[in-house]
Amino acid sequence: MALEVGRVCMKTAGREAGKYCVVLKKMDENFVLITGPRVLTQVKRRRCNVEHLEPTPHTVKIDAEASDEVVIDAYEKSGLLTKLGLKKPSPEVVKEAKKEVKKVEKEVKKEEKPKEKKEEKPEKKPEVKEEKPTEKKEKKKGLTIKFKIPTIRKGKKEEKKKLEKKEKKKKK
Amino acid sequence: MVRRMLRTRSLKKKKVRTPGNRVVVHFEDKKTGIARCAICRKPLHGVPRVKSSQMRKLPKTKRRPERPYGGNLCSKCMRNLFRRSVVQILEKK
Repeated sequence: MALEVGRVCMKTAGREAGKYCVVLKKMDENFVLITGPRVLTQVKRRRCNVEHLEPTPHTVKIDAEASDEVVIDAYEKSGLLTKLGLKKPSPEVVKEAKKEVKKVEKEVKKEEKPKEKKEEKPEKKPEVKEEKPTEKKEKKKGLTIKFKIPTIRKGKKEEKKKLEKKEKKKKK
Repeated sequence: MVRRMLRTRSLKKKKVRTPGNRVVVHFEDKKTGIARCAICRKPLHGVPRVKSSQMRKLPKTKRRPERPYGGNLCSKCMRNLFRRSVVQILEKK
């Protein structure tokens, strides 16, 4: 059985294992969009790995990416609610769930807008930053090469020579 | 004689050699056995090895994995269970 739109499946992995869901859309070779809906079977509307699904012989007539309310109606028309032993939720509960979905959608939209602004700012900053550090680094490198290395080498060699001279004097 | 508090069999006795070359008995809490899958007997992940009295103090989410049959079956056996339940529906038809 293929995982086409409207196929009723059982989830076999994670906390939602053993619960029924409906395929809404094929996203990828490995992933599909599914929904319980949550009010009916406690499976959230989410992306799901194909290997974590076990298709059942039942199907529901829906369009791709149908809303949760439409899916519940389709369940009722096909007569699957009694077959699978599910309880139809009261319309009040469905309305509340719909509000939550809308809230999530709004939040997602809000998050997307500020991200675009943020992306613009850092593009300008690094250009300014890149110029400054390069100049500093060049100066620092010049300093280190000119002063540090000769002082260390000379100092060590001179000390060694002094020590050798002292020892020779003592022996004499 | 040891303290009366330590004279129980519920504590595990361990012999330790001290720096002064003397053998001393240390009293330790016993550890519970490893939790195993009820079907395949493999050790389970995510179930702590603590006394039952300590287990009660832990939050419920830390006592077992949060999936059906969590803490009783391993994830593989659980998947097979649900797979088989679907296949049985097909065979009946």
